[in-house]
This record gives sequence, structure tokens and C-alpha cells, in this order.
Amino acid sequence: MRALNLFAVIITGIILIYGTQDMPDWADPRSPASTHVSPRYIEKTLEETATPNAVTSVLADYRGYDTLGETTVIFAAGISCILILRARRQER
Amino acid sequence: MSLHSPVLAVVIPLICAFLALLFGWWRKNLCYPITLVALSSSFLASLNTLHTVITTGTIRYHLGNWNPPWGIEYVVDHLNALVLGIISCIILVVGVYSKRSVEQELPEKIVFFYTLYLLLATGLFGIVVTGDMFNLYVFLEIASLAGYALIAIGEDGAPLASFRYVIMGTIGACFYLLGVGYLYIATGSLNMADLSQMLPELYDSRVVLVAFTFFMVGLALKMALFPLHTWLPDAYTHAPSTVSALLAPTMTKVGAYVMIRIMFTVFKPDFSISLFPITSILGWLAAAAILFGSIMALAQVDLKRMLCFVVVAEIGYIGIGVGIANRTALIGAILHIVNDVFMMACLFLAVGAIVYKIGTRNIYRFRYLHRKMPLMMALFVAGGLSVVGIPPLCGFFSKWYLILGAFKADKWIFVAVILVSSLLNAILFFRVIENVYLEPPEAGRSLEEIPTDEAPLSMLLPMFVVVAGIILLGVFSGRIIDVVIQFAIPPSI
Amino acid sequence: MFDFILSRYNYWIYIILMMIGLYAMIGKKNLIKKIIGMNIFQTAIILFFISTAAKRGGTLPIIEHAHGAHPIQAASYVNPLPHVLMLTAIVVMVSTLGVALAIVIAIYRRYNTLEEDEILNLKR
Repeated sequence: MRALNLFAVIITGIILIYGTQDMPDWADPRSPASTHVSPRYIEKTLEETATPNAVTSVLADYRGYDTLGETTVIFAAGISCILILRARRQER
Repeated sequence: MSLHSPVLAVVIPLICAFLALLFGWWRKNLCYPITLVALSSSFLASLNTLHTVITTGTIRYHLGNWNPPWGIEYVVDHLNALVLGIISCIILVVGVYSKRSVEQELPEKIVFFYTLYLLLATGLFGIVVTGDMFNLYVFLEIASLAGYALIAIGEDGAPLASFRYVIMGTIGACFYLLGVGYLYIATGSLNMADLSQMLPELYDSRVVLVAFTFFMVGLALKMALFPLHTWLPDAYTHAPSTVSALLAPTMTKVGAYVMIRIMFTVFKPDFSISLFPITSILGWLAAAAILFGSIMALAQVDLKRMLCFVVVAEIGYIGIGVGIANRTALIGAILHIVNDVFMMACLFLAVGAIVYKIGTRNIYRFRYLHRKMPLMMALFVAGGLSVVGIPPLCGFFSKWYLILGAFKADKWIFVAVILVSSLLNAILFFRVIENVYLEPPEAGRSLEEIPTDEAPLSMLLPMFVVVAGIILLGVFSGRIIDVVIQFAIPPSI
Repeated sequence: MFDFILSRYNYWIYIILMMIGLYAMIGKKNLIKKIIGMNIFQTAIILFFISTAAKRGGTLPIIEHAHGAHPIQAASYVNPLPHVLMLTAIVVMVSTLGVALAIVIAIYRRYNTLEEDEILNLKR
């Protein structure tokens, strides 16, 4: 079983490393990630959202719906903890 | 209304989850009505979405009015609209059913139960309607977290089963996230429509290949495809009845939907079918899943555990349809997602009612149950026959399309697998029927002496709705295919 | 060859870290060790995403001279999108960790042990 787990993990790692071969060089300003969607967030953040911090403007404005989901996750986790832990106390 | 209906279907349960908690602190009894109001409005919203999609075509909803790919976009086409409608219907029906079962099994935790129930609904709807890869991950986690907690509050042994589900589910979600990361490095975009336009140039890139592999493995974990199904039987067996009835039809099917979406929308069919051998791998794994699930189900004496293995087999049917990947088989796979939601809901709801009344799930102690609960058992048998594939019920039609698709692709082994598993399913359900209906009465007692003790109306009514759905889906399956499903399949197949 | 390694070694380090976490998740018998593995795995994914944001010569994505008339060059600031995604992912991961720990507490109250094989023996 131990050997099987180790084998699965190593295979996963090799596949991931295999994928990195075709990646653009690290910190390359011409890579797709730096040129396709993100420039607008930097160049227009002042104009469109009046926020100098681009991370803030993406978090709370461009992709604000993800942040709503994020707070919902926290809400769900809090309720889950109450639900699970409270259950056991009453049983005692 | 019709413009905003996709987002309303997601946001109403979210807001009502909060309201249910607030009002629940004040009056515990208010949770149930709030849940029903939320789920029925989101059901109406999804019906409206489906209607709009059928009449006017794909809906694109830009959240926050930011154009994609900069902002997040909801894209609802025929495939999502159908899945959204079916899932919201079943979540509403199970919600109606939940009242008595939750009062009996979890009397102290009603408020938190319904809050999480609504959050789970939010997560599932969010996964189905979104057109953004990362947004899908966030909603996947909302649904999963609510699912973990709801399973953990079940009977003895549930926490350990839930813990294993947490580990496997997190690996699945992390693999999905890694896939998103690799695609982001290769393209710089997170929007599904944008990705599907940019990816064809990059199909020989190793980054994209690895991303696709990780999407498939992660989603196979989430949808419990053999051999990654190991978490499912334990988790769904030990969960409270209502939770199993909610999760078994919806969670795995949403995973299957996401898999179809990634294989045929984000990536183009010619990549998924010819450039990468994923469809044939998927087909063989699915065939193994069908046989394994059916045979393991035969070995169980616990009815709920038996049904859990049936779920594993049913996932195999969807997988086999996607694996054959011609037009007929894909129609079969999508139709099977729809049918399976109703069939699994029917069976698990019946188990919940049996547990509610007689407190055991051992099928050898079901003797004379047809005298005690005649209606409930009749409805259970209808669901069982549909899984076997008896013609007027819906299960037959999806299997029919799957077999036709396998014929067209000359995959005779898959035809054989589907036929054999139908036979195994017949044995499976006949074993239950035999124990319920055909046991001879004990000496000196006649069957008429056993009093009728039917399940309460709030349990029977949802069952009636589900069985009516099974029959109607069967009768109108041709029409569903004409109006919705044929547009849900990519035209190049 | 040397350039090739130099331009990717950060990804490889994160992948090795991920695999350590993944092995702990599926290989270890102690439930807390599994959770630690989960945390390592998720943290490695966060590092992986964050490293994709880097640009040579880029600085923090906070616009300087906010009121000046300089045109803003995207190449002089790092990519803000992975940071945002990871802010969300961190929260998701913390929530998963919390729920997993709550479930472990429930298991411990029931069985008084956290070793998976001992629990399976007790269940029998």
C-alpha cells in the first residue's frame, strides 16, 4: 500500500514537472499571463475604479463576485463547525 | 426578471441562508418555510432561465457589468439550463421532504441544518451557471464544505466517512485549481469562452495537456468515477437520510456536468476525442465502474449502502456515454444525467421514509412492508424499475441511446456491459421486492392483520412528484431531446 | 540548459512541496498528519500561483504618482490577478482546514484516538 501511494505521488509529480517544460520563462514580462487580461487591471484601475491599488480593485470590483463567494465559504465553514461540534456536546 | 434569472437562482438561496440563521435564532420553526420560499423562487428562476434559453438562445450575464474576460460572466446555454432546472427541482422536492426526517434525526440542529442546506444549494447552482473557471472553483468549495458538514452529522461512523471525503474532495478541488493555474500560465485567461477561443493554437503545448489531465482527475474524484469512488459509499451511507437524498442525485451529477463542460466547451471536441485519448480511457473506466458498482451492490444487505453502489454504477453510465463520444451516446449521457437525478432522488427518499418508520435499513427485515406502507413501496418499486430500464420509465430511454451510440461506434463490449448491468440491476431490485412482497405470512397470522402505517404526507407528496417526473421524463424524452438536448451537444460531433 | 533550469526551478520546488503534502494526505495514518499534508499541498499551490505573477523589473501593483500625468505601463507592475485569486483561495483553504479540524474533534470524542487503523479496529 505504501509503495502504491508513493508511486501515485511520484507519477503525479512527474506529470506536473513534464508540464512545466513548455511554460514561459519565470518572470517574463511577455508571457501570456502578463499580456492577455491583466494589463487592463493595471492601466485602467485609476480611471475605472479610482483605486491606486490594482489588487484591491480586482478583488472588490472586477472580480468582486468571487469575493462574495469567498465570504460565503467562510460563512459556510463557520456554520459547519457549529453544526458538527454542537452535535457531539448534546449527546454527552 | 428573465434578464436576471440565472443570477437570482444563485443569490436567493444565499441571502435566505443568512435569513434562515437570523430568524432561526428567534423562532426555530421559521427555518423550514424560509428554506421552501428560497428554493421555490430559485426553482422558478431556473425555469424562467430554461424558457429564455429555449426561446432566445444562450444567456450571457456580466456580473458587475464588467465585460469578460476581465469580469466574471454567467453563461447559460441549453446544457446548463437543463441541469439547473432539474437540480433546482430536486433540491426543492427534497427540501419539502426534509421536515419530518430532520425533526426525527437532528432535532437540536434544525437551524444550522437548513442554513447549510441553502448554502449547498447556492454552491451547486453557482457551479452550474458560471462561465468562469475560478468562480467555479469557489462555488465548488461552498458546495463541498456544506456537504462535508452535513455528512459528518449523520449516524455513528459518519465523522470518519466525512473526513475521508474531506481528504479526497480536497485533493480533487486542488487538482482542479492546479489545472486552472496551468491554463492561466499558458493563456492568461480564466473565462471559459475566451479560453475555448485561445486554446486551439496551444493544443500541442505540454502545459495545456497537463492542465487537461488534472481537470479530468480532479473531477473524476469529485464525481466518484471508478477507481476514485472509494469515499462515496461510506459517506452517503452514514449521512442523515435527507442529506443522502440531497447529495446522491445532485453532487455527482454536477461533477459530471462540469466534466462535459470542460471536455466539450473549454476544450474543443476534436482535442478531447482525437488529440488526447481521454475518451477511450474514460469509456473503459466507466465500464469497469458499471460492473463494479452493480456487483458490489449485490453483496450488500444494507439498502442504503446498496443504493450507494448503484450511484457508482450510474456515474459509469454517464461516463460511458461521454467516453463513446458520438452524437447519440452524448444524448444518452446528458439524458442520463437528467434521469438519474430523478431516479436516485426517488430511491434515496424512499429509504429515508423506511428508516423514518421502521428504523432499519437491512433488507431482510423489510418483511410485509408492502402491507405497512403500500404507497411508499409502490413508489420505490417504480424508481427501481426505472433504474433497471423498463420502457415507459425514463431509465430505459437513456440506456437505449447509450446502447445505440455504442452500436454506431462498434463498441460491442460497452453494449454487453450495459446489458449485463441491467440484468444485475434487475436481480438487485428483485431481491428487495422479494423480501418485501413475496415472503409468506407467518403461521397463524394473515397479512390483513398488519396495520397500515404509511409515511406522512410531507414525505409522500415529494415522492409522488419525483415518480411523476420519472414517468413524464420517460414519456416526453423524445421531446426533451428535440427541444433542449440536441442543442446542448457541440455541433462538431 | 542552465537557463532552462534557472527559469523553472521555482515551479519544480513548489511541485516537490505539493507532492510531499499529497503523500502525507494519502499515505499517513494519523488524521492530524493528513490535515498537515493538506495544508502543505494547498500552501504549495498558493506559492505556485503567486510565482506566476512575477515580472522582471515589475514592482507592487500599486500605482505611483496617482495624480500625475505619466502613462501607466503594465510591464512595470506585477500581475495583480494571481494575487487576487490566491486571496480567495487562502480563505477557501482556511475554511476547509477549519471544517476538517472540527470533524477530527468529533472523531476524537467518539473513538478517543486519531490513528486511522485503531479507529477501524474499534469500529469492527
